[in-house]
Amino acid sequence: MAVPHVEFRGVSKHFGATRAVDDLSLVIGRGTVHGLVGENGAGKSTIGKLVAGVHRPDRGNMLLNGSPVAFRSPRDALAHGITVVAQELSLVPARSVRDNVFLGDEPARAGVVRTGEQRRRLEALVERVGIDVPLEAMVGDLPVAAQQKVEILRALGRHADLIVMDEPTARLSTEEAGALLSIISRLSAEGTTVVLVSHFLDQVLEVADVVSVMRDGRLVRSGPAGDETERSLVEAMIGRSLDANYPAKILPPASTPVVLEVAGLRAVTGGPTVDLQVRAGEIVGLAGLVGSGRSEILRAVFGAEPRAGGSVAVCGEPLRRRSTRAAIEAGVGLIPESRKDQGLLLGRSIRENVTLPHLSLLSRLGCVRRRSEVRAAREAAADVDIRSASLEQTALELSGGNQQKSLFARWFLDARSVLLADEPTRGVDIGAKRAIYDLLVQAAATGLAVVFVSSEIDEVIGLAHRVLVVSDHAIVAELAGEQLTENRILEAIFGTGSQEIT
Amino acid sequence: MSESRVGALGAAGPAEPEARSRPVQVLLTRYGILWVTLALFIFLAITTEGFLRGANMRNVLDQQSLILIGAAFSTLTIIGGGFDISQAAVFITSGIVAVQALNASGSATVAVLAGVGLGLGAGVLNGVVVAYARINSFIATLATSFLWFGAGFLISDRSILRPASRDWSDLARQRVGLLTTATWFSIAIVALAWFVLARTKFGRHIYATGGNVEAAHLSGVNTRRVTAMVFALSGAAAGFAGTLNSARSGSALPSDDFSYVFSVIAAVVVGGTSIAGGEGAVWRTVLGALFLAFMVNGFNIAQVDPIWQRVIQGIVILVAVGLDSWARRSRRAA
Repeated sequence: MAVPHVEFRGVSKHFGATRAVDDLSLVIGRGTVHGLVGENGAGKSTIGKLVAGVHRPDRGNMLLNGSPVAFRSPRDALAHGITVVAQELSLVPARSVRDNVFLGDEPARAGVVRTGEQRRRLEALVERVGIDVPLEAMVGDLPVAAQQKVEILRALGRHADLIVMDEPTARLSTEEAGALLSIISRLSAEGTTVVLVSHFLDQVLEVADVVSVMRDGRLVRSGPAGDETERSLVEAMIGRSLDANYPAKILPPASTPVVLEVAGLRAVTGGPTVDLQVRAGEIVGLAGLVGSGRSEILRAVFGAEPRAGGSVAVCGEPLRRRSTRAAIEAGVGLIPESRKDQGLLLGRSIRENVTLPHLSLLSRLGCVRRRSEVRAAREAAADVDIRSASLEQTALELSGGNQQKSLFARWFLDARSVLLADEPTRGVDIGAKRAIYDLLVQAAATGLAVVFVSSEIDEVIGLAHRVLVVSDHAIVAELAGEQLTENRILEAIFGTGSQEIT
Repeated sequence: MSESRVGALGAAGPAEPEARSRPVQVLLTRYGILWVTLALFIFLAITTEGFLRGANMRNVLDQQSLILIGAAFSTLTIIGGGFDISQAAVFITSGIVAVQALNASGSATVAVLAGVGLGLGAGVLNGVVVAYARINSFIATLATSFLWFGAGFLISDRSILRPASRDWSDLARQRVGLLTTATWFSIAIVALAWFVLARTKFGRHIYATGGNVEAAHLSGVNTRRVTAMVFALSGAAAGFAGTLNSARSGSALPSDDFSYVFSVIAAVVVGGTSIAGGEGAVWRTVLGALFLAFMVNGFNIAQVDPIWQRVIQGIVILVAVGLDSWARRSRRAA
């Protein structure tokens, strides 16, 4: 057997107390497309960064062409023919494609850049790999997909023979992603090794020769892509059968009253109107692409953004003021998309985070009654099962799952009518995911109207009693019961409007 | 085989409680300013003759009293995510206004109300500009500083004002028990600021607004009103301090001297309140002010050249801010 291009032998990488990669042994063959898949935080990106010299292993050895290497920096890795095309592109927008490709490596004679030589070399390269971009255009004027091609050209222009691509299709449309995948196949046929880190299992299966599945920093398995299916990969990623992933759906009887009634709501000025009715005990999922306006609808209902029109009524009472205070007083809670940027006071205790919206209930003459507060926070924390040594720990010290549970506790403390949750499982580990599903179901079971947004179609199907598909700030489809299939949702998502996928 | 082991680990993982930070480390880092101030106090008490004497202690507290009054409420501003540079200008101009009012009315009550009222008005203006016009608070209060410095020159007609009544100085200088009235006032103001910040709903809203304005908004906090109010209070505190200063020094003169607010911010920052907002406490500011006061007092008794005193003070402030950002970074990274 040929010497592998890169080999990991017992490599570990820790960040603080987190084991990002734990005792990894993995072989990446020369000229192959090697797919790396796994949940968020499973360690797949870390492997990519170890290969590209961004991180250094804490333990174990990396071998390049059979000999041990220890890259000190990405630059050092590049000198060994390894480079990375990251999610965030690192191009100079105000320079041409040609300048960017040769940036830092300009062919020059006596300090004068040899433009003709550049052009010739670049054209030869483009010819060889079949990447089609306007070479004299300004990079900042190009769409993301073309910029990515420039990144790849730059990698090849530096004679890289191993390219790590971290979520390269995340910001591309379906066609652009297809084009990128064929470039990847072509590179591999030319002898370049590609390490493809991706969430999109179908794309990985389409283009990869070998797929490695990561879970909790460990390699679950590494084998030929031909032996895997999307389902087998997902089950390996989450470590259990897909069927047991969601709690049972308990649909409320048709006679239960409508709690949340949204009529003619415009989330953006001049945008389409949204009508929405949610009954007590009902779980409604908002599906759609990132940027389709799902979050804006939730925020407009909550009063976090000024409504451009329309009305929101809770239990028949219209929310007149366009303020979050009015919504909270009506018993509505919002768990925002980013718990760190929009949800938590990271430096304050769990107690303070949980009670923040309810201090009026817990105060007398403007003074917080400490005992009532502690009792209320403790009960809410117990309701959602926050695992912490004490409620006086800061939110910063909690895991992603427990941080998210703290936000559920915040609203469970005095939830009376509606719970809105925006991407409630984003960035939490698998065990906590199931716990959060249970919390959403628990909220509905106690009579709340639950509306949640999720980018994972799987999750929407698994949890929602009814799914509303959002596109361009409008609800374009309503699906329930038998209609709740991945195909129907995807059809509705892509049937109209934007094509951008994230 | 390894499959099932990983699975079992995954199932057990979430059941473990989150690691608690080690108590010793917390005591050392969280209460760092307390240990440092205590150490300095003990060091000076042992090595410097005269430091512990009653008159010296009374002096140290009296000198810090005006700074503490401003700093107590500046702590609220900084925790709320703002900066109030204009405290210096308000401090100077409110003294002038207070003496003018005293000389015009003959009533000390009117004089105090005028001085505090000017501060409150200036603070409300700052609050409106920062919270509703959304101008960066450092720049906004720098701008209003010049406004109030200028007003001071106008009101005083560029001259030193003397209080017509001799009793005016009693407001700050009278001995009540062991301490001066200025010191007693500063204790009362510090207690008030502590109570507001640590015990009230408004105090929580200050932490929330400074810590994460979006999270506060989504929790129903009227973040603009909170911001406007902390600036109003900060102005009123500076106005009161300036009024006391005119009594303490027996005069009021216009200037454009920023040194008052520098001392105030130094006390807040050395105490360990984060300039990033959202974290800190009034007791920290008290310790910060005492630490700086003990240091200066120790230097003076030991007759250290004032120029070197400034250099060392600068280093102390840099170290305090450096420690804050270092602690912040290391916690975020973990």
